[in-house]
Amino acid sequence: MSIDYQQVITKIREIAVTAKQNDEQVNARRGQAIKLLEANANQLAELKRKVEQTYENDLNLRCAIPASEPLNATFDPPEPPSQVTLIAADGSQITPDRHAAVFFSLINVGVIVIEPGSMKAPDVFTFSDIKYGEELFSETGLIGEDLISLGRDLAERQKLLELAEQYPAPVIALTDGPVEIWGPKGGSNEAYRQTLETHLVILRKMQERAVIPGGVVDKPGANLVVRLLEIAGLHIDELRDIHKKFPLRGVTDLWLFQQLLPPGERSAVFGLQSSSQVHYKGDLALHFFYLNTSRDDHPNLVRVEIPAWVAQDENKLKLIHAALISQSRILGARAYPYILHRAHEIAVVKFEEKQQVEQMLMLELRRNGMMVGEPSSKQATKDLPGRGSK
Amino acid sequence: MKPLQIGYLLRSGTTGFVAGCSVSQLAAPGLGALISAPLSSGYQVYGLIHDIHIDDDGLVRQLVTADNISPEVMRDNRERRIVPVEMSVLVVGWEQDGRISHLLPPRPPLSLDVINLCDDDELVKFTGAGSFGYFRHVLRNKDIPVGDVLAAHIQQAGAAHALKGNQDWQGKAAQELIVLLRDDFPTLMTVLSALGDALPFGK
Repeated sequence: MSIDYQQVITKIREIAVTAKQNDEQVNARRGQAIKLLEANANQLAELKRKVEQTYENDLNLRCAIPASEPLNATFDPPEPPSQVTLIAADGSQITPDRHAAVFFSLINVGVIVIEPGSMKAPDVFTFSDIKYGEELFSETGLIGEDLISLGRDLAERQKLLELAEQYPAPVIALTDGPVEIWGPKGGSNEAYRQTLETHLVILRKMQERAVIPGGVVDKPGANLVVRLLEIAGLHIDELRDIHKKFPLRGVTDLWLFQQLLPPGERSAVFGLQSSSQVHYKGDLALHFFYLNTSRDDHPNLVRVEIPAWVAQDENKLKLIHAALISQSRILGARAYPYILHRAHEIAVVKFEEKQQVEQMLMLELRRNGMMVGEPSSKQATKDLPGRGSK
Repeated sequence: MKPLQIGYLLRSGTTGFVAGCSVSQLAAPGLGALISAPLSSGYQVYGLIHDIHIDDDGLVRQLVTADNISPEVMRDNRERRIVPVEMSVLVVGWEQDGRISHLLPPRPPLSLDVINLCDDDELVKFTGAGSFGYFRHVLRNKDIPVGDVLAAHIQQAGAAHALKGNQDWQGKAAQELIVLLRDDFPTLMTVLSALGDALPFGK
């Protein structure tokens, strides 16, 4: 037993009491948020101007930008398309571990292609890329988790593009997570800059080939629309200190659209105001909508990120909306797109597999007469079977 | 003729083993089928399939809660996902350099050894050797559906012998079972009942 439950339970009781008080405050703010949403639903141009003015005061501003649909608009699920190809990619990675016997990294990308209605078994692909020795170093030193994650994200998107060309159109290419590639912003990191450039090339090629990219964020945590409503509710003079003002703190996009969206329906499409908008421009400007993938009264919200060329094309919007809803119906009560779950299942590297790769690498190195290290004493001790401590 | 491979060995012992195959390979083997595990040169172990088992997992349990399952999802789960079919096999004999024995083998097959389905020639060769000595391996095993396994096996082997011109094998096999089970009336009734359902005696 490693936790002192007596200490923890005291704190838990305090948390519960405080949470109840906070909840009352948040409820009042929720009411305000709904009022702001209704009042500003059609004030799109004015709100856009306000966001632009706010951005001048806060270059790190991250919020929704009104597009062409009223803020509180909802859209019925369209009929499933008669012909569509769905491709989803997901990735996992092994990062170099200085406590392990050998130093290596591995990126594993799983891709699945489903042609609904074709009666065909889906095609599944795995791409595994192991790196060792000099390959583990960038210009600034040993690559860490950030860079390996960037490499994984890029590999996912590259495989989506490569495979999309081999299947009948229209093709929807899905990732678990946003379309936007995350990394240290501001172009300070060379590896991030290169990754971003390649990503933009991939997105442009997808547009040329009419491959519809979609990034699905399940149970989204970003409060982009609520932030927009905060801006809407503040006086123009107050926007100078926007980074210090959170009048709707505690209200979430998740809650807001759970109230708004009936099962299967999507929200209005919004633009994304973020520091990355300097990179994702024009047809590639990032947009998103919320989607209630549930089929009953228990909403399940996902945020779907798409580029502008998809956001501005009603048919493509309908296609991705319908595809995600039909995929979310497959898993019964768990309203998550089946294809994304399968991509994850194909990609994930289990602990035993990691050990297997490590053993294979060590064996091959020894066979070639190389000295192989040992796990650190700390790691070896951790790996000992034991009962834990009292 | 090239042997029909139906899977690979997962785990084994002297008296039985478990083989795994993918769902797409499942069409070939059936309950009571004679299979062989060829090991080193000239040595192979024979067994009878007494159980075919398919495990579920979290995704399959989730899928069954949906209203309907599309053919693509069905095929994805059967053909693309790692859902091995497990076949439990009762060891009934072995062969060394062409000589069949109905005793337990000197050593069991090893992990990932290939498992083949015996064709009619092998079935006739194994079941026609000796005098049904391998029946005792089945009869002493109280944890398997003895009657149904034997009925399925005798039906398959009887048909193979009949094709080779031996119409008497099935009757002799039934007679042997009656003799072996003369002091175990409940099991005898179970076996005869299953044989009655499977075989055309008196019909």
